[in-house]
Formats: sequence, structure tokens, C-alpha cells
Amino acid sequence: MSEAAKSPSIAFDAMRERAAWWLVAPSVVLIVVLLVIPTLAIIGLSLTDLDLGNPDWNFIGVQNYVDLASDRTFRISIRNTALYVAIVTPVSVTLGLGAAILIEAGTELRGFFRSAYFLPVVSLIVAMATVWQYLMHPTIGPINLLLNLVGLPSVNFLGSSDVVIYGLAIIGIWQATGFAMVLFLAGLSAIDPQLYQAAEIDGAKSWWDRFWLVTWPILAPTTLFVTTLTMINAVKVFETVTTLTQGGPSKSSEVLLWTIYEEGFIYLHLGSASAMAVVFIAVLLVLIIIQTRTLDKRVHYG
Amino acid sequence: MRYMLGMITGLALIASPALADTTEITVHYPMPGFFKDVMDKIATEYMHQHPDVKITFASPSATYEDGLQLMLREAGSPEMPDVSFIGLNRLRVLAERNIGVDLKPLIDKDSNFKSEGFSETLLQLARVHDRQVGLAFAASDPIFYYNADLVRKVGGDPDHMPTTWEGVFELAAKIQALGDGTAGMSYRWMGDDWMFSALLFGNGGSMLTADEKKVAFDGPEGLAALKTLDNMVKIGKMPNLSSDAMVQSFTAGKTGMFFWTTGALRSIIKGVGDKFELRTTKIPLLNPEKGHLPTGGNAAVMFTTNPAKQQAVYEFLKFAAGPFGESVVVPGTGYVPTNENAAKDEKYLKTFYDQNPLFRAGRDQIPLMVPWYSFPGNNGVKVTQTMVDDLGQLVEQKITPEEAQKAMAQDVSKLLPR
Repeated sequence: MSEAAKSPSIAFDAMRERAAWWLVAPSVVLIVVLLVIPTLAIIGLSLTDLDLGNPDWNFIGVQNYVDLASDRTFRISIRNTALYVAIVTPVSVTLGLGAAILIEAGTELRGFFRSAYFLPVVSLIVAMATVWQYLMHPTIGPINLLLNLVGLPSVNFLGSSDVVIYGLAIIGIWQATGFAMVLFLAGLSAIDPQLYQAAEIDGAKSWWDRFWLVTWPILAPTTLFVTTLTMINAVKVFETVTTLTQGGPSKSSEVLLWTIYEEGFIYLHLGSASAMAVVFIAVLLVLIIIQTRTLDKRVHYG
Repeated sequence: MRYMLGMITGLALIASPALADTTEITVHYPMPGFFKDVMDKIATEYMHQHPDVKITFASPSATYEDGLQLMLREAGSPEMPDVSFIGLNRLRVLAERNIGVDLKPLIDKDSNFKSEGFSETLLQLARVHDRQVGLAFAASDPIFYYNADLVRKVGGDPDHMPTTWEGVFELAAKIQALGDGTAGMSYRWMGDDWMFSALLFGNGGSMLTADEKKVAFDGPEGLAALKTLDNMVKIGKMPNLSSDAMVQSFTAGKTGMFFWTTGALRSIIKGVGDKFELRTTKIPLLNPEKGHLPTGGNAAVMFTTNPAKQQAVYEFLKFAAGPFGESVVVPGTGYVPTNENAAKDEKYLKTFYDQNPLFRAGRDQIPLMVPWYSFPGNNGVKVTQTMVDDLGQLVEQKITPEEAQKAMAQDVSKLLPR
């Protein structure tokens, strides 16, 4: 760039910067109004003992957080949520990948299978929960009738405190698999078929070799993306618990969002519910940071 | 054009005095699935009788909890509805926060009140200490539903059902022995403390001492109530079902006897259809002399603080909880009438009860009904949930009745106001 052009360029840069601010302004405003302010409000509320409808409230510092540390329900809730995530994430990611590979490899009925697996993602989960409730009914439910048919005992999926979280996890997997599948399908279609041919010439004869040497490494960024998204969705499990178990029996299906809802809107303790919500947001933030950090460092193939 | 203008002005002149006299009342209610038709009928009839009042509905809330939240959130704001129907066990939350209007001064001024069928029993259902928080609108008590076909199958007599819990357990075990996934009985103990109260109050017990400082179910009455629940599982072979699963199983003809609110009667009748012969009767009491039953349901509560509106709202509350309102809500749901005139008068419900024997069980227990106890203080709602959690452990046979009693007493004591 020549010397003469320098000063107009400074003016141009300033103008460009102003324009840039104007262009991002709508989303900045939205983020501030819809995300930052509510989050700050929740943090503020979490430092009070406010009860819904009660005009008297006090600023109590971090007392709500101190109480949370020894709150039995909250501990159970964290443990149950962790267990739920630990089951739903790997199983639905694996099933989603499997379904995507099978659909991609097949030639017939692709559209049908794609929609069939994706249907749970777009269906109204509250309505579907009622269907699951019937399917899992301990005496008249088809799942248990099938189990009995092959000589297995009935399982009280939603009524027994020992298995209820697994029962909910089954529904969670059913819900999340289609979502994982669609993302994997997109990832698979981006793989150049020539890579498979090249691998075959180089001696990767079996389908497993081709999967392990070509598909898996190229899909790695997709897999990470799918895994974190599925995890985040699983941490947010709420509708099935609200409709089917309300945290019971005996707190065995307490999960974070339900516990927060119960504390805030049924017990009316807005202060301590806000403290729980802050912890919950922190957990989600950590998951998101892990995802973006790892994605940035990732080597991208293809 | 000028003619048109003149006409419009003329119309406006005629219309304006009428407009000035019209009072507009906004009414809010929960559970539209249960109450929408009922509310529409009551409002239409009320406006028909009172042309100077216009009733509009705020959008209904899905549950009692949602309804209460809405009223607590909007308290004092211009959007707050003038009337809402609040669960009987949540009235104390309103009273302790001083939200809603105490009806006592209005009732004291009203000389017709007693003769219109509003008894002392009705008033105490919606009273917290001296405050008349509302007027009980829909009241329910727990009743005994049974499948007459299954009872006959095991040699029982559907006209003479057991009147003691021991008798129920014996019959339940026989029905369960039919196999094929048939359950003898279900007792809807979860969700809240209501059905446990039915056992405790039915044994003459109470939740807290009269001064509300200490737990009162830690004595023999409480233990007997917990042992009864325990024996439902041990002797009556009650399967551990969730609330909805219990209803599904009963209406599918797979449960012999079912204990729940009479408020669900209409929906159970619909669910059963022609699958089997449904019958109802009184629920057994552990102590027939001293026993009582808790009252579920809701009360109409006045929220408007505008004195000009309060009289109109008061009249509407009386209308809804009066004979006409009751004659709509009872057949539509299965709730029992709270108004004495409604039950006796030929014009309202007498013929209905003569023709619909299933609805009589709830009505026949009216003399036994006492208010559903609600706990004092900030943790008044939370306390019931901890009790239900302990009951859950008992039903799953993870703890004994003695352990459950101890755990409940401890958990409840911790949450009482200090």
C-alpha cells in the first residue's frame, strides 16, 4: 500500500469498525437482554432467601450455596443426572453412528429409515412419554409381556426406585439416537468415496478396516460434536421426569432440572432454586468450553 | 353522512349508562380438562342472572401448582385476576403471605348466608386460623372403587364389600392369586400426603399437635396407619405402580380394588367403559368411631382489592359455590357438593344421586370430612414431599413401618418453623 493511501485508509477503517458494530448490534442486544441480564438476575436472586409471593426477603450472601453442599436431594439429583448422562450419551452416539452407517450403506428405503429414526427428535416428548408409560407398564405393558414371553421376569421400569433411572434412560436413548444419526449422516456424506477405494487398494479389505482407518478418523470432529451435544441434551432431561415420575419414587429419579423446578415452583423457594440454577449453568458452560477448546485443536481431515 | 353520525352519537348515548354500570370480573381456574365446561356453564348462567356483570376468563393453568404460582407472581399487579380457584392444601400459602381477600367481613355482613346452604363445615374447609381464605367450591374425599366382576370371580359379594382393611387385604390376596398380572388392590399413596392423611385421620390421628409445634403422628395412631400401608404390600400384594399406572391398570380391568379420590370418578367411569362392572363404596376406617377423612379439591378465592368490584366478586363466589354451581360441578367430575341446599334440593342434585349410585360413596362420607391439613411456614409445601419419599421407601419394602415413622417424624420436624 502506498504512502498516499494511508490516511484515507484510517478513516475507512474507523467507518468499517462503526459499521461492524451496527451490524452486530441486534445480536449483541439480544444476547444481553435474553442471556446476560437473566443470568445476572439469577445470580443476584441466588444470594437472597426470596420466596415466591413473600414480600420479606433478605440478602444472605452465599448461604444458599453452603446449604446446597449439604442438601441431600441436590446430591442425589447430581448423581442421578450423571448416571443418566453416562448411559444415554455413549449408547445413543453408538447407535446413532451405527444407524447412519447402515442407512448410508444401504440402497433401498433410505428415506424411510432416515425419517423413522429422526421421528422421535421432532415428536412432542410429553405426548410420547405417555406412550412409553403404557409400553413400560409393569403388568399390562407390551414390553413386559414380551419379556414374560421369553421367560424373563417383569421389570417395573418407572415404578421401582432401583431401575427408574434406567427406564428413563431408555426413553432418553430413543430420543437422542435419531439426532445423533442425522448429524453422522451429514458427516458421512462428506467423506470422499475415493478414500475408500484407495484404502482398499492399500489392503484394507474388510469393512472393519475401512471403518477404522477411514470413516472413524474423518468422522472424529463430528463424533466429538455429536457427543457433547448429546451430553448437553441429556443433562437437560426434564420432560420425561415431569410427565412420568416427578422425581420419584423416593427421589430415585430426581434430576437437576426437575429439582430446580420443584424447589422454585412447587416449594416456592426462589433463592435456593436460583443457586441450583447457577450451578447447573456452570456445569453446562464447562461442557461447552471443553467442546469448543477440543474442536479448535482438532486436526481436520478431508 | 350527517345522519349516520347522529345515529352513532345517539347509540353511544343510549349505551353509555349501561356500560358504566357493567362490572367486569376476571376469573382464573386450574385444570381446564376438569373444569372448563363447568366454568363456562357457571359463568353463562351467572351473566344471564346478572346482566350488569361481565365475566372474562384468564387463560387457565394446567395444575393447582401452576395456578398458585401465577397468583403469587401477579399479586398486586394490574394483570392479577379477580377470582381464582386454589387447591385446598395451598390456601395456607396465600394466608401466610397475606395475598387474597379475607371473606370474613363480607360474610358477617351477609344475613342470607346460612339460609343459602353455606354451613360451618363448608367454611372451615377454606379457613386458616381466623381468616376465611375462600369458599370451598369442589370438594372430594377418598373412596373405594372396585371391579365387581373380579370380586365375584373369587367368591366375594359385590353388595357387601369388606368394611375393614383386614377384610380388604384378604380379598385382595385372593384376586391377586387369579394370576395373569391381576393385582388385588392399589392405594394411591404418592403425589402428596392426602391418601396417607386418609389412613392417619381415619385412625383419629393428626399431623401435628394442636399448637403446630411438634409432630403428632409419631404415636400409635400414626404407626397403625403406616402398618396398614405396609400390609397393603405384604398381605394385600399391592404392586408398586406409579399413579398413572394404577389408574391404567384398574380401568383395564387388571386391579380388583382401587382407593383414590371421588373427584376422579367421572374420568374413571369413562376409562372403564363397558369393560367390567364398576362399583364404589365407602373407604374403610381404622377407627370407625373417631376416624375422619381429608378433603381435597379447591376453593374460590377473591383477589381483587377494588372495593367497587368486591361485592360483585363476592356474589359470584357464592353463586359458584352455591346450589347452581355445585349442581354443575358434581355430575361433571365426581366431586361432592359443599353446599347443603345443593345436595338436598330436588331441583339440583337429589334426582342425580337417585339415578347415579356410583356418586353416592363420596356423598355418604361428607359427615366425616375434615380439612386437608397444610403445614405452617416456608417449608409447608416441601414437608409433604419428604413424607411421600419416606412412604415410598416403605411401599418398596426397604424400611419397616417403625423406621418409616421415625424418618418421617425427623424429616418433618426439621422443616417446621423454628
